[in-house]
Order: sequence, then structure tokens, then C-alpha cells
Amino acid sequence: MKKFVFVLLALLLLVPTVSIFAQDTLTMGSWRADDVEKMNALFDVYKEASGVQIDFQPTNPPDYNATLRLQLESGTGPDLMYVRSYATGADLYKSGYLAKINDLPGLADSLTEQNLAPWTIDGDTFAVPVIAVTHAVYYNKDIFAANNIEIPTTFEEFLAACETLKAAGVTPLANGVAEEWDILETFFLGMLPNYIGGAEERVLYESGEKKLNDEAFVKAYTDMAKVAPYLPTGFEAVTYNDSQILFATGKAAMFMDGSWTLGTYGDVDFEWGTFAMPAPAGSETAITFHLDAAIGMNAASAHPEEAKAFLAWLCTQEGVDALAKYLPVGMYPISKLEVTLEDAHAQEMLSLTNEKLTDVRFVWPALMDLYSPMNQAVISVLKGTDPQAAADTVEVAFEALKK
Amino acid sequence: MANTNSRRIRGDSSLNPTWHYWMLYLLPGVIIYIVFMAYPLLDSIRLSFFTGTGAERTFTGLSNYVKLFTDEVISTRFWTAFGHTWIFFAIHMLVQNVLGIIFAVILTNRTMQGSRIYQTIIFLPVTLSILVTGYLWKLLLSPVWTGDILNSIGLGALSKPWLGQESTALIVVSLVSCWQWVGMPTMMFFAALQGISEELIEAAALEGTSTWDLFRYIQFPLIKPVVGVVAILTFVNNFNAFDVVFSMEGANGAPNYATDIIGTFFYRVGIAGQHPVAIPDAGLGAAVATVIFLMLAAFVIPTLIQSQKEG
Repeated sequence: MKKFVFVLLALLLLVPTVSIFAQDTLTMGSWRADDVEKMNALFDVYKEASGVQIDFQPTNPPDYNATLRLQLESGTGPDLMYVRSYATGADLYKSGYLAKINDLPGLADSLTEQNLAPWTIDGDTFAVPVIAVTHAVYYNKDIFAANNIEIPTTFEEFLAACETLKAAGVTPLANGVAEEWDILETFFLGMLPNYIGGAEERVLYESGEKKLNDEAFVKAYTDMAKVAPYLPTGFEAVTYNDSQILFATGKAAMFMDGSWTLGTYGDVDFEWGTFAMPAPAGSETAITFHLDAAIGMNAASAHPEEAKAFLAWLCTQEGVDALAKYLPVGMYPISKLEVTLEDAHAQEMLSLTNEKLTDVRFVWPALMDLYSPMNQAVISVLKGTDPQAAADTVEVAFEALKK
Repeated sequence: MANTNSRRIRGDSSLNPTWHYWMLYLLPGVIIYIVFMAYPLLDSIRLSFFTGTGAERTFTGLSNYVKLFTDEVISTRFWTAFGHTWIFFAIHMLVQNVLGIIFAVILTNRTMQGSRIYQTIIFLPVTLSILVTGYLWKLLLSPVWTGDILNSIGLGALSKPWLGQESTALIVVSLVSCWQWVGMPTMMFFAALQGISEELIEAAALEGTSTWDLFRYIQFPLIKPVVGVVAILTFVNNFNAFDVVFSMEGANGAPNYATDIIGTFFYRVGIAGQHPVAIPDAGLGAAVATVIFLMLAAFVIPTLIQSQKEG
């Protein structure tokens, strides 16, 4: 009897080792814990095409960076992994954990240099971009129709529309500042390219050639402040969740938000759409199209060929189609190839970027340390601080960082 | 209390022949204390001399402490949070503990009817999770959700973004915390007041003492040791407070760090990292924790010794 138990235990111990050698299974790390089902569907498509199984192993989003680093340091990192844009991802590459993929077949055909920039350092590309988000104004078509309002084409028209709505007793905008991050990321950074331009201008600010309290910035803060009367009463205490409810229940007519909430309004009982936050008269409307996530491969992977094949597949039309189909609504695949989305609202929001200048969120590439100062500056102008004074605080913070 | 006991045991009683004997009985407690309290504490002090995460941890001496006190942004945040914690503490002493004594005196009054029901009502919030009550208060205090109701009953002036104004946010959050925890001091004072000998109260009543004099000259002096203990507990808990601010204002202590207290500051620095970069600095966090520990110890130990002497 004892012997039997012993043999049984020995067999049980063998099972995991056997299964590792038996099949080609790649593992993938991610912070997108909400997407397990959809990603598994995507991997099923890939398995059919290639015979390689991918196992999605997401971590709790806030812990991803730390967990991934620990795994990589101890040699237990996943074969494939989500890589954050700019510094966080570049750090991993510099530590030697990510493979260089410049010669990946199809890479240049599918992605532009601008697409790859967040995951390229000194000419070395280390991940294939997969998820982008965009920012726009959600609007209630029924309320717009009832008040004879057209989609505004300039910021002045936008303010006029807000005034009409306010006079009619409707809260024009659902945005609030209680949670702080949303007013900066979705609203201010969403409309900032209208005032300062795209990537070419952005780098001038990063290098210090242009000041963060120059005319363009002050104008942006000034226009931000003009929005304050049209936010909900007590917007100081309105949370992101409150804003969503205000818009979804038809209490507010508009909501400047990111594309990631597109799926939230699936069952509201009114017609809605999205439009790009218009630039002031005389300027071209631009859009913040933020490159958020890429997939890279572990430099120490036991299955380098298979991992590389998957990344190459992501650069094919078939791969882009699968991404378009299985990424959560409002998270867009990044590609030069044709992207067709099933969700009409998502397609509409993506089409806003057509023919327009786009850039990532201003602080992400190099000025992440200015996130908090800029966040507070934006909130302070809404609460009545002078726009010039608010812009100055950000420039002062930038100067302090350079020391 | 512990002092008098040990003094008696150390004496030449025939029941306790040698000190080896009672040491054995202490052993389990001491081991648990060392493993779960002393070791983590010392380890976190050790951690405060290192930088980096995981395997890349490197010794940096006192640089975390230097950074904490000299880096402009970090030191400003630290001292702001430190100041707010004192305000938070003061409001708890003034509101929570004073209300606790008042409730306890009323509840122990001999003419009081339905004392049990009131005890339950007062104690109830203590048993609820602050994540739930904090969220409910957030809705109650938001003009978006209660503004219409308040306007319709003529109290529109009360409909303010209390949690969104820098001038009111910290006070309101502290008051919600007082509401949540007032049951604790109430119960402690209640128990202490019940411990007062009935004869004393009766004798005073026969002499025709007013309620105030009864409290001033008999009840309060007799429950003074408990007042000291409650004050220390309030002090320690406030320096450890985190959940009420986290649930009502988020980890950043919004608006504009107006409700940032030591607990949320430590959480951002050492555990979560600030949104959206979210790279925590465990070494710096440990330095914050160590500084707080030293401050607490410097305040609590003398107070404890003092109150033990009086007791």
C-alpha cells in the first residue's frame, strides 16, 4: 500500500514536467485582467492558424510593472508580454529582458514610425503596438435635436452650444474633478493638440525650446476655464463614475471622455454619438490618439521562434482583423492596414481621427513628472485661478525637475 | 496593571520558586510578538536604507531620509500630510471623544430609558466597512445626488461640494470618520462609568449634587485613566488612518492634496505609486514608515509611562 501511494505521488509530480515538454504553449503577461475572455478568443483564432497555444496570464493592473519585473529577474517571465509605452517599457528593454524585433516580417508594412516611437529607443524596436485609445466628446443626439444644436466645428460654437443647453435647464457637460485624473487625461490632454499642435511641436516643449507657460498653453488653460460654468453643479465633488451616470441617464448632454467607455452606453434609451473637441476658430482640430499598449517578447524565452511568429502575425491583415474583433470596444488596434470595427460607435469615434493631426497624450513621452502639476493646474483654473498663474506653476515645476 | 502583577510575582512567593518558571509561560507570546511584530518592524527599518525593487535592491545609507526631508516636492507633501494628520487628530479628540463621553454619561444616567437601543445605534457604524459608509457619505454629500432633495426642503444652502472644496474636504472627511468610530470611545467610557461604585453616586445624589457637578467632581476624575487610554488610541489610530480618505477622496488625498494624511502619503510612496506612473519606491516608503514610528514612539511612550504612574 505504502509503495503504491509513493508511486502515485511520483507520477503526480511528473505530470507538470511532462506537459511542459509535450506541447507548444506560450504564456503572455498583461495588465488587462478584464480582457481574459476576449483575449482567449483571439488566441483561439491564432491557434487555428498556427497550432500554437497561448496562455493569457494577466495580473492585477496596478501590480503589473512590479510583478513582471520580479518574474523577469527570477527567469520565470512570460514568453510574450504587454509592454507599456515610453519609459516604463524602455527600461525593460534596457535591462535586456525584451528582444529586439526590428527585423520582424511585416512590421514596416503594418506600422508607421510614429506608431512604433513609444516602443523604440535609439532605433531599436522592442514591441508591436496593439492598443490605442482616443478622446472625444460624447453627446446626446436627442437633447441636441430638441434644442436645435448642430455639432460644433469651433470651440466658440461649442461654448455657444453649452450656453444654449444651460439656458434650457440641461447640464451641458458631465465632467467633474473629484478624482482628478479624468479631467486631465480625457479633457485637457484630449483638447491640448488643438492649441499646441502635434508631435513636432511637443518635442520642442520637451527640450525646453518652448515654455510650458507660453501663449498657446495659456490659451488652452483659458479655454479650459471657460468650460467651468457648464460643468455639473458641485463639479468639484463629481467623480468619474458620477459623470458616466449623469451622461447615461440623460441628465448631462455631453461628456468629454476616452474611447474606453464606449461599451458603457450600450443600453441607454437615447441616441448618442461622438465628435472631436473642436479647435478655436482659425486652428485645425487635432486629436489625442494615445498609443497605450504593445506586445513584446521575452529575450530569454524558451520558444523564441513561436513567440516571434505570433508578433509577425499581429502585423498581418489577419492579425489586425482579429485584434479589431476581439479587443474590448474602444481599444483600437494600431495599424496602417485597414481596421474594420463591428461596433458602429467605435467606428465613428475612430473615424474622427481620419485626416486629422494626432498625437499621444502630451506628458506621456517625456514629461510624466509633470502629470501631477499639470493636473492641479487644470483643476485650479476651473476653480477660478488665473490661467497664466496656473501655467506658470507647471513651468516652475519643469524648471525644478531639470536641476 | 501589568506592572503591579509582575511586582507581585517577582516577590518571594512559594508558588513561584524561580523566574525560569514564569518565563516559560511568556514564551509563546514573546515568539508570536517577535515573528509578527518586532521582526517586520526591524526589517522595514532595514529596508529604509535600500533603494530599488526585488533583486536589484542596493544599499544607499541614509539617502531615502535625505530625500524625504530635502526633495522639494516630497518634503512638501510629507509635511502637508503630517499637518493634516494633526488636524484629523484634533477633530477626533474634539468631536469623537467629547461626544463619546457625553453619550456615555447620558447612557449611564439612572433615569435613562431604552439605553440598549441607543447603545446599538451608536455602535452600529463601527461594525460597518468604511468602504461602504464612505461611499454612501460621498453620495450624500454630493450636490449631484442630494442637491434636488435639499433644495426642495429649503436647505439648498447645505448643498455644497463639501468633498471637492479644499477648505472643507479635510474637516468633512474627519467628521465622517468621527461618525463611524464614535461608538468605540462611547463603549469604553460607558464601561468605565459603570465601574464607578453606586454608593458614590447615591451619596452625591442625597447631597443634592447637580448633574454637572456629579460629572465634574466624581465621574470624570474616576474615569481619567480611560480618558488617557482613549486619547492614546485615537492618536495611534489617526497616524495609521488611511481607509476613510482612500474611500472618500482616493489615494491622492484630493482635492489638491487637501485631505492627504500620513496614511495615504505612505501608500502612494511605498505601495501603490502615484497614478499613472505607478512605480512605488519601497525604500522611501519604509523611510516614511520609520519616521512615523519614531514620532509615535516619542509621543506615546512618555504618555504611557505617565498614565501608568498615575494609575
